[in-house]
Amino acid sequence: MEPHDHGHEAGHGHDHPHDHAEIGQLAPPQFYDIMETAVRELLIEKKLIEPDEIRRQIEVLDSRTPALGARVVARAWLDPEFRARLLANGRAACEEFGISFYDDTQLIVLENTETVHNLIVCTLCSCYPRPVLGLPPDWYKLKPYRARAVIEPRAVLAEFGTIIPDDVEVRVSDSTAMVRYLVLPRRPEGTEDFTEDELAAIVTRDTMIGVVPATVAAGGIRQ
Amino acid sequence: MTSTENLVKRLPNDIGGLPAEPIQRVEHELEPWEKRCHALADVLDFHKIINTEEKRCGVEALGAEMVGKLSYYERWIVAFANILFRKQILAPEELARKMDEVRARWNGEAVVGN
Repeated sequence: MEPHDHGHEAGHGHDHPHDHAEIGQLAPPQFYDIMETAVRELLIEKKLIEPDEIRRQIEVLDSRTPALGARVVARAWLDPEFRARLLANGRAACEEFGISFYDDTQLIVLENTETVHNLIVCTLCSCYPRPVLGLPPDWYKLKPYRARAVIEPRAVLAEFGTIIPDDVEVRVSDSTAMVRYLVLPRRPEGTEDFTEDELAAIVTRDTMIGVVPATVAAGGIRQ
Repeated sequence: MTSTENLVKRLPNDIGGLPAEPIQRVEHELEPWEKRCHALADVLDFHKIINTEEKRCGVEALGAEMVGKLSYYERWIVAFANILFRKQILAPEELARKMDEVRARWNGEAVVGN
């Protein structure tokens, strides 16, 4: 599948995953930095891992961005049969779409409707649908979001500027090491003539976490 | 509830439903060592050396003070070291010596003996 670059994550910095690789090393190494290298080198010396595996996995991590999830959502909006397969088995449908899962996790896709708004969280740590969205934002891993999303989701959503009407149910799904979630946002009105690429461009990371709705404005430039 | 009861009922990671501050929408590009640490976690999982749940438990076992004060990937690498010690894959002295060697190498110093 072709990567696409619609600048759909303003201020998020996923556009240049390779640019910073050397910069951090200019700073003097710190305790934990040294510990990471020492652990890794010892495991390699003991032949428990291969030297190349870490580098290859960094490439895998760099290849995973919310653009992948956005393409899945756009396809689901356009293809009802794909959407049905996606909701039935998120992992299998993503794999069919060409997104490999590099871990043992299952993926449950949660569809937002007129009556239900979904939000995902990991209260215990930071479980996240990494194969389709990449690494989670820091706020997803920090205490305020983890603690509050399950007890006062409407207040949390309001802090993201998202007001859910009282007659819409808010469902919060708490991720685990084995089961991850992805929100299928509602397709906004006014997108009836959008192409698949144009639709993907308005699907941001945060819409797939469920903290904001997909909006036409999110895509920025449109012909 | 007694003052210590909550410590028993709530391990450090178990914060769902607790009162907390407003969301700060912070993000940062991972440092190179943080990205390597993440890749290491995945590779350890692939090889069934440390799986995701063992990692989560390992972080929890650091205790509330370290969970509160160390950064995200700092918690991970310390948890990995502890788990590898417990599984007798690494020994603490071995890691200490290797860390001295890495530090000396990065500082451009010659490593003297071991």
